Amino acid sequence: MMADRRRINGPPGGTRPAVFASNSQSGTGATTRAQRQRQPSELRKIFLKTGLIPTASGSSYLEFEPSASLAAARANPKSLIPPSSALKLACTVHGPKPLPRSAAFSPNLVLTTHVKYAPFAARRRKGHIRDSSERDLGVHLETALRGAIIAERWPKSGLDITITILEAEDDRWWGDAPDSHDASWGMMNVLAGCITAASAAIADAHIDCLDLVAGGVAALVSDESAGSSAAPKLMLDTDPAEHRSILSACVVGYMPARDEITELWLKGDSSKASLEDGDKRTGHEALIDGAVDAARGAHTVLAEAVRESLLSAVGQL
Amino acid sequence: MVGPTASLSILSRADGSASLKCPTTGYNVLGSVNAPIELPARRDALKPEEATVEVFVKPGNTTAGVGERYVEGILRSVLQKVILGRERGFPRRGVVITLAIIGGDAVERGDSYLNILPTLLQVSLLALLSAAVPMSMTFSTALLGVTKSGDIICNPSAAEAKAASSLHVLAFSSKGHLLLDESQGRFEFEQWESVRERAFSICRGMATPGADGDVTMGDGGDEARINGFICETVEDHLHRDYSWKIDSA
Amino acid sequence: MAAPEAKVAPSIPPSLSLPPSQFARLQPHAYLLAHLSPPPASNQPSIRANGRAPSQFRVTSANAGSLTHTNGSAVVRIGDTAAVCGVRAELLHTEDIASWSVSQASGSHKRRRLADLGKKSAEEDEEDEEDDEEDRAHIEDLNLLVPNLSLSTGCAPGFIPGAPPSALAQSLSHQILSLLHSTRLVRADDLRIWYQPPNLGPEEPERHNEDEQMDMDAEHSPTSESKPREIKAFWVLYIDVMIISLAGNPFDAAWAAVLAALRDTKLPKAWWDVDNETILCSDNISDARKLCLRGLPVASSFGVFEADAAAGWRPNVIPDAEEQKAQDQKRKKGSQQSWILADPDGYEEGLSQERACIVVDKEQGGKGKTVIMKMEKHGGWTVDTEELRQLVDISARRWDEMKRMLDQC
Repeated sequence: MMADRRRINGPPGGTRPAVFASNSQSGTGATTRAQRQRQPSELRKIFLKTGLIPTASGSSYLEFEPSASLAAARANPKSLIPPSSALKLACTVHGPKPLPRSAAFSPNLVLTTHVKYAPFAARRRKGHIRDSSERDLGVHLETALRGAIIAERWPKSGLDITITILEAEDDRWWGDAPDSHDASWGMMNVLAGCITAASAAIADAHIDCLDLVAGGVAALVSDESAGSSAAPKLMLDTDPAEHRSILSACVVGYMPARDEITELWLKGDSSKASLEDGDKRTGHEALIDGAVDAARGAHTVLAEAVRESLLSAVGQL
Repeated sequence: MVGPTASLSILSRADGSASLKCPTTGYNVLGSVNAPIELPARRDALKPEEATVEVFVKPGNTTAGVGERYVEGILRSVLQKVILGRERGFPRRGVVITLAIIGGDAVERGDSYLNILPTLLQVSLLALLSAAVPMSMTFSTALLGVTKSGDIICNPSAAEAKAASSLHVLAFSSKGHLLLDESQGRFEFEQWESVRERAFSICRGMATPGADGDVTMGDGGDEARINGFICETVEDHLHRDYSWKIDSA
Repeated sequence: MAAPEAKVAPSIPPSLSLPPSQFARLQPHAYLLAHLSPPPASNQPSIRANGRAPSQFRVTSANAGSLTHTNGSAVVRIGDTAAVCGVRAELLHTEDIASWSVSQASGSHKRRRLADLGKKSAEEDEEDEEDDEEDRAHIEDLNLLVPNLSLSTGCAPGFIPGAPPSALAQSLSHQILSLLHSTRLVRADDLRIWYQPPNLGPEEPERHNEDEQMDMDAEHSPTSESKPREIKAFWVLYIDVMIISLAGNPFDAAWAAVLAALRDTKLPKAWWDVDNETILCSDNISDARKLCLRGLPVASSFGVFEADAAAGWRPNVIPDAEEQKAQDQKRKKGSQQSWILADPDGYEEGLSQERACIVVDKEQGGKGKTVIMKMEKHGGWTVDTEELRQLVDISARRWDEMKRMLDQC
C-alpha cells in the first residue's frame, strides 16, 4: 500500500500495540473483571450540553457517566489498563445550507450524517479513513433522524451532521478473547449516544422536528461464570466490559411524544431470555421494550439540555 | 564565491518560466507561471475583485506531501501580496505557479523546508517576471545559518544547516521592506537582528539608495547581491530578446 | 465609511437600519476598522470588535488526562477554538526496521556511546550536546513522532467531513511535526527500550577483551560491562489532534494541546522478554514514567489588520521602507494604519493577510532569558524589526500565562 502523502506517516514497517505481561501478582487489580454495580434497569447518567461549538449552526457534547469500575480506577489509579471506558462524543450540525451546484434537485432537506472515531478513541488505534463500522453507524444514524426532521420545510437544502467520537465503548472486557457470539456490542452504545447527541444538536440548530429522538440500548446478558445453565437476563444500558457474555442487544431511536421507533437494530440470539413469570413476551419483544425504556430515560436528559439551551438563548435576547 | 545561475523563459508552452540553480545548497528548481488563466473548476472560490494565486510545489522524487502544502501556503501568501491582482484582466482569474524541484537533496519528512525556500521564492519571482505578471515590487531572499559558536554563515549546505543552531530565511522587497521571515532553531532576538542586518546587506547591498531609488552597486564584498543578480538576469534576457531592435538601432 | 453603508441601505438612514451583527457581516473590514480607530472626538479606546485589546489573547483553558484509551491526552480551549489531543504509544521493534542491523553494525563505537548515553540520561542538559545527533537520528529518521491534525470534525463550515485532509490541516500537521523536531521536545532516550544481555561466559577473558570499555563503565555499573546493552525497540508516539471547534488561530490551540498531552503522557515500563522474543509491558502505574520534555515552547500567533486593505494593490504608491518609517513617525499621533492583533479569531483571520507566529521558551522555569524557537512572518510588510521585538515581548508574557495554566492542568 502506498503511504498516504496527505498525512504524516509512522515508521514504514508499522508498529505493534503494547502487550502487557499477565502478572496477576502485580496487585493492580486489572485482571479482575469489572462488575456491574447498577440495577438491571438503572441507566448511567448522561452529560449533555448544547451550543459549545459556536461556528456550527448547532452542536452538542455528550458524555456517559463512567461505570463504577472505571470511576474507581480513575480516582485511585493503579493499572495502566482501563477496566472499561465511557462514551464521549461531539456533534455538530451545519445547515440548512444550499445544496452544491452539482447536486440534483431535491424538494426536501437532504440529510448527510458522518460518524468518525478519533484515532485514540478505542482500545485499538483507529485509522484516519472511515472504516465500514463507521460508515455503518452513519447510515443507522441517518435512518434514526430522517423520520423526525420535517424535511419538506427546506427544499433544495442540505444538513450535515458530523459526529466525532473521542472515546468509544468497549465491545467486551479487555481480557476476554473474541468468541463465537461476540459482536461489536460497544458500537450499539455508541449509536444510542450518537442519536441522542444529534437530536440535541439539531434542536440547537433550530431545525423543525416532530420530536426529539432519543437512543437507548438493552441487552440480554448471561453473567454466570459457573456455567451457561443460568438463563440470560435483560439489562438496560449495558457496558459490555462489565459482562461475561452478551447474547443479544438492541438499540432503538425513539420518539416518546408519538411513541414511534425511528430506528431499530437488533443483534444476536434473543430466544433464551428468562423473563418474569407470567410475562408472555418473546425475547426480542422484551429486548425492544427494554431499549425503549432506556431511550425514555435518555429523552429526559435530552429535553432538559434543549430546554437549558433555549433558556440561555432567550436570556441573551 | 560562485553565484547562482538562472535562465528565463525556457519552457515554450507556459506563459512564463525560469530555472535557478544554487551551487552551495545544490538545489535546482524549475518554475512555470500561467497567468492570467481561467479556473473554471474553482468558480465558487474565486474572488470577484482580484486574482487567485495558486502555487504548486513538486518534489523531485515523489508526489507532494504535507511539507509541500505548508511551503505552498507560505509562497502563496508572499506572492499574493506582491502580485497586482487587481490589474485589468486579472480579477476572477488565476495566477498558477508550478515549481518543480529537479535537483538537490530531497526534503525529508518533517524537515523545515527552509533550505530550499529561498530558491523557490526566487524562481517564482523570475517566472512571474518572465510571464510579465504585474507586480508592485520585486524581492530578494537570503538563507542564513547561525552555527553553535554564534557565527553567521550564508547559504549553508545541507550538512551545515543540520548542524546549525538556527536557520533563517529572509526576503526583502526591492523597496527594503521585510517581506518574509522564517526562523527556526534556538536563538535570541539580538542574534536575529544581526542576522537581519546581514541578510539585508546580502539582498540589497550595503549601499544606500540613490536619489532615483537605484542602488549603487559595487561594495558588497564577495557576497553576491541577490537583488542585483535578479536585475542582471532580467536585463540579459531583455538584451537577448530585443537584440534585433538594439542591433538595428 | 458612510459610503459603504449607504450602498447597503440607500433609502433609510444607515446608522439606524443595520444592527451591528449584520453590519459586521456585510462590511467586515469597515466594521473592524471602526472599532480599532474610533473617531478622536468620541474618546473611546481602540479596541477590537471582539472586545479585546490588540495584544490581548482569548481566555485559555486546558484539561489533561481525561481520555481513557490514551497514554496522554489534553483538551485546550482558546476562546471558541477547541483542540483535543491524544497521544498513543506503540512499539517499533528494531527487527522491524529494515536498516537497523546495518546502521548498528557500522560501528561498535557508536553502539557503546549509545549505551553510555543511556545511563547518563537522567542528568540534564550537560549531555544535551552529545545527545543531539543521536536524538535526531532516532526520532527523525525512524519516524518516532507521528502528529496528525484533523479538521474534518465539523469544526467549521467549509471543511467537508470525510474528505481527505485539507491544505490547512496538512500544513498544520507539518508545522507541528517540524516544531517537535526543531525544539527537540521529546528525548529519544525516553522512547528507547534497552536490553542487557545476560553475561553467560566466564568473566575474566571478556574483561580482557573489552579493556577500554571497562574503563568507561567501571564506575557506573561494575557488574554488567561485559556485553553492551542494546536497543530492542522504540516507543512510537502517535499524536492525534482533533480540532473540535475552529474559530481562528488553530495552530496555537493545537500546539498547546500537543504540549499538554505530551506532559501528561505516561509510558509503561517495557522490557525485552527473552522467552517470548517480544517486548512486554508492566501495567502497574507506579512502574510507568512520564516523558521528560525539553523545555516548554509556547506558540503565539498574530494577524495584521490594515486600515487600507487595498493599498498593496495599487501600483506606485508603496513607499520605500525608509520613507514609510518616516511617515509613520509623523503619523504616530494621528491615525494608525495597521494593527497587530494577537490571537486573531476567525473573523479577524479573514481580514488579515499578514501573519506572524512566534514560539518562545524561557529557560530555568521562567527565570532565565527568553529564547526564540521559531519566528515566522509572511504575507505583508508591516511587521519588521521593531514590531517583532514587541511581539517577542508579548509572546514572553504569554509564555508565563501558559506555563501557569499548563502547570495547573
